[in-house]
Amino acid sequence: MTQILPSHTEMNSIKIENYTAVFGESFTLNNINWTLEPNQHWVITGANGSGKSALSAILAGAGERISGSISGLPKHIEIISFEAQAELIERELKKDDADIMDVISEGTPVREILEEGKAIYPEFDSALLDQLVAMFKLEPMLDRSFRKLSTGETRKIMLIRALANNPDLIILDEPFDGLDAASMQLLQDLLKSKIDAMAMVLVLNRFDEIPDFITHIAYTDQGKLQHSVDINNKQAYDDLYQLLHLKTTELSVPATDLSDRPPALNPNDPLVRLTNIKVAYGDATIIDGLDWTIEPGQHWQLSGPNGSGKTCLLNLITGDHPQCYTNNIFVFGMQRGNGETIWQIKQYIGYVSTALQWEYRVSISLRNVILSGFHDSIGVYTKSTDKQKAVADQWLALLGMKDRANEPYNQLSFGDQRLLLIARAMVKHPTLLILDEPCLGLDDINRQLVLALIEKICTSGDTTVLYVNHHAEDQISGISQFKQLEKLDAQSS
Amino acid sequence: MSNNYFNTLPLREQLAQLAKCRFMSMDEFSDGVEALKGKKIVVIGCGAQGLNQGLNLRDSGLDVSYTLRAAAIAEKRQSWKNATENGFVVGTYQELIPTADVVLNLTPDKQHTPVVNEIMPLMKKGACLSYSHGFNIVEEGMKIREDLTVIMVAPKCPGSEVRAEYVRGFGVPTLIAVHEDNDPKGEGLALAKAYAVGTGGHKAGVLMSSFIAEVKSDLMGEQTILCGMLQTGSLLCFDKMVEEGIDPGYASKLIQYGWETITEALKYGGVTNMLDRLSNPAKIKAFDLAEELKEIMRPLYNKHQDDIIDGTFSRVMMEDWANDDKNLLGWRAETAETAFEKTPAGDVEISEQEFFDNGILMVAMVKAGVELAFETMTAAGIIAESAYYESLHETPLIANTIARKKLYEMNATISDTAEYGCYLYNHACLPLLADFMKGIKTDVIGKGLDTTDTGVDNARLIEVNAALRSHPVEAIGAVLRGHMADMKKIV
Ligand SMILES: NC(=O)c1ccc[n+]([C@@H]2O[C@H](COP(=O)([O-])OP(=O)(O)OC[C@H]3O[C@@H](n4cnc5c(N)ncnc54)[C@H](OP(=O)(O)O)[C@@H]3O)[C@@H](O)[C@H]2O)c1
Repeated sequence: MTQILPSHTEMNSIKIENYTAVFGESFTLNNINWTLEPNQHWVITGANGSGKSALSAILAGAGERISGSISGLPKHIEIISFEAQAELIERELKKDDADIMDVISEGTPVREILEEGKAIYPEFDSALLDQLVAMFKLEPMLDRSFRKLSTGETRKIMLIRALANNPDLIILDEPFDGLDAASMQLLQDLLKSKIDAMAMVLVLNRFDEIPDFITHIAYTDQGKLQHSVDINNKQAYDDLYQLLHLKTTELSVPATDLSDRPPALNPNDPLVRLTNIKVAYGDATIIDGLDWTIEPGQHWQLSGPNGSGKTCLLNLITGDHPQCYTNNIFVFGMQRGNGETIWQIKQYIGYVSTALQWEYRVSISLRNVILSGFHDSIGVYTKSTDKQKAVADQWLALLGMKDRANEPYNQLSFGDQRLLLIARAMVKHPTLLILDEPCLGLDDINRQLVLALIEKICTSGDTTVLYVNHHAEDQISGISQFKQLEKLDAQSS
Repeated sequence: MSNNYFNTLPLREQLAQLAKCRFMSMDEFSDGVEALKGKKIVVIGCGAQGLNQGLNLRDSGLDVSYTLRAAAIAEKRQSWKNATENGFVVGTYQELIPTADVVLNLTPDKQHTPVVNEIMPLMKKGACLSYSHGFNIVEEGMKIREDLTVIMVAPKCPGSEVRAEYVRGFGVPTLIAVHEDNDPKGEGLALAKAYAVGTGGHKAGVLMSSFIAEVKSDLMGEQTILCGMLQTGSLLCFDKMVEEGIDPGYASKLIQYGWETITEALKYGGVTNMLDRLSNPAKIKAFDLAEELKEIMRPLYNKHQDDIIDGTFSRVMMEDWANDDKNLLGWRAETAETAFEKTPAGDVEISEQEFFDNGILMVAMVKAGVELAFETMTAAGIIAESAYYESLHETPLIANTIARKKLYEMNATISDTAEYGCYLYNHACLPLLADFMKGIKTDVIGKGLDTTDTGVDNARLIEVNAALRSHPVEAIGAVLRGHMADMKKIV
């Protein structure tokens, strides 16, 4: 990370405390607490409509204060944003109106716009202005009318003007939007060369555009400042990266490797038919006389209190419960106990549960965790095809873990492990996807992601979903069948 | 009186049998479990191996049921519960043995003669009898009916691992053999291979060996490095630390968990990696100590191997069986009374690295034991692959048991045969190392080297590193571990 030298003496810390402000009729920034220390350079990011632009704009006095305070703002602040641009263009158009009476106005020439600050700011940097004009090859444009420029050109001019004005704090809302790669690089280098001269706050949509001189990231969500992250805190940074990535990605379920599908099933058979199920350990009866049929395409939600036998029931289906051999169980065209192997059954199933997460204790990379879903194994012991690897990488990208494919799985947080196991369960587009409390341990964003993925899968047609959960609020729109288990009375057993 | 089978063979045949060991390739298992499909498999005994092998075989699509001695069924013993709660059919010998195409004898080795004598008359003509250890055939000279096929499928791991690895989609290294005197239809190998596939063993590597090579190497490994060395090492290291004024709670913990921690390094990268975990001066120290230990203990390892090969060991042990296990039970009680066993691990934090830094002598003991056992076995004609599995490969597995409940747990988990051999070794080794131990101070056990002297002689370090890496157990270990790692890392 760039070493920031303490040289910008005018800058104090800017303190925003318990600040609430409204913007227009409908948007409120809520109870913001944010401190910008001198020599810090921030990026504000967040989803569309989350308030990232508003947050930057309150530094420049935008919004109607409802409560709270802002202190320590420097004297000279420049802001370049869509709104500021619109304002300037509007002003220029008005000038035209004013001039309409005698001469046909050509509008203000670009040169004049650029030099406006000369008279206002003693710190105005003429040398820099010349340098920038040269750098962006704007000489041919200088005498043209500002209002005749394209939006991109206007934006460039405004940027240059703001920099030449040499403020204490510069706020750039999506400065790289609409810039070609070369101009973007140019601008980034330029900003970097000025980091000792002015504090910077950038509003950016895309994480990969964050320049390397940025020291801190603010993340907004629903009008709140949700996270402030020091970029040197790798863990926090990675988490935020992932989260932002999810927010800004168009969600779709990666395709699978069609070359390695299990044998097709008779569409008239149910996927699962459990008849008069009975499970007991010694004298304790867990399930007694249960019948259940799952037809293809019929998505189910299974719930019940702890100890009602949910996991036991699922394990009978997956073949992980030894008493599956003593019950009347028909799964995927096989009547259990007739010489089928558990691998023949598992090839139709994608499964995630907390128990699986406990059992998934092998040293393995992130990518291989996902690949193991193709082989129904814990760890990878079979060669994967190139196609399978490509699919695994798509899942990693979807989870915002693209650059971490070779990191060790066992060092991930519980939530990240869970996400990977969910991808593992879904990767082969299983015939039956069993999700036992999949959202356990996931933060809000990831829970939303997982629920959205499940909904997509429910409508895909390939996969039947069996979803187990405690939380009523985690309902999934495609699921219309509900099964409730009750704890057997100890007396009756 | 039993008749040692090995001793009945001519020398040429003895050597040929001992040297029999071949690492099989994956495509030799392309028939899967076919040879056992539709056959009725009846397991005798539902303990550590019986239960877990049976669960795997059933999940591989095979027909498995259990037969237990009548008392176990009547009293609903643990073995009965194991089988019934897992949904298996359980019956008496009379009910199930006559229906069996394959009988898996997974009772304790000591019971094999009475058990086999009881079930053999009940077995169907032309059926197959299988073992997971060849003691009964090789050391007791058990004669099996001529029409029966006799095979061995011996997972080189405790039963719990056999199951856990299968459930993951993998398996444990497994040794298979056909008893050539009992292969009337020539189907022994096909059955053994199918059985190994059914337990998942083929995925982790299968050694095609002989009953003799399995028994002579298994016995040697378990009584020397695996159990004997760890027991002797525990007792000596503990007493030394306490004598030198180290807090007994700390000493107890350093040993109880130390074996597990240092042999974990062994598991991943052999002796070399275990020593690489030490600082350079500590590594040289451990190396020198191990050299000294090897010199002192070599005659003992030779004696164990000789006694195993010529049958003295099993003869003496069987005399103890006949004598109501007087020695075994006495030694067991003695072990329970040792200071190490009776001192609970203290409530102190010991970091992973500290186990190495303060346990240099333990590292040296493991190195010396592994190398000696390997060298002695290969010198006796046992092939390197087999010697590797019976020494280095299993050491971490045994070390884990000590971490659970000290020597008690280790001796309770291993077979009576291994336990007996372990005590035998311990009794000979303790006095053998008495003088050596007099020169030991806390720098190599308990406190670690004085951190100020980190300098080492480059030439000496290069020499030590080269010696470590060029030991033959490292070469074969790299190949066999590579095989496992390949499978685990394949992308
Ligand atoms: N443990 C290992 O790591 C390992 C590894 C490879 C191979 N092996 C071999 O596997 C075989 C079984 O060992 P194990 O460790 O699984 O033994 P185990 O856990 O002690 O189990 C032995 C089973 O046999 C039954 N049994 C005991 N005495 C019997 C008798 N007289 N007649 C009939 N059944 C009897 C016991 O049940 P009841 O007492 O309730 O009848 C118990 O279910 C041995 O040959 C051993 O060498 C073991």
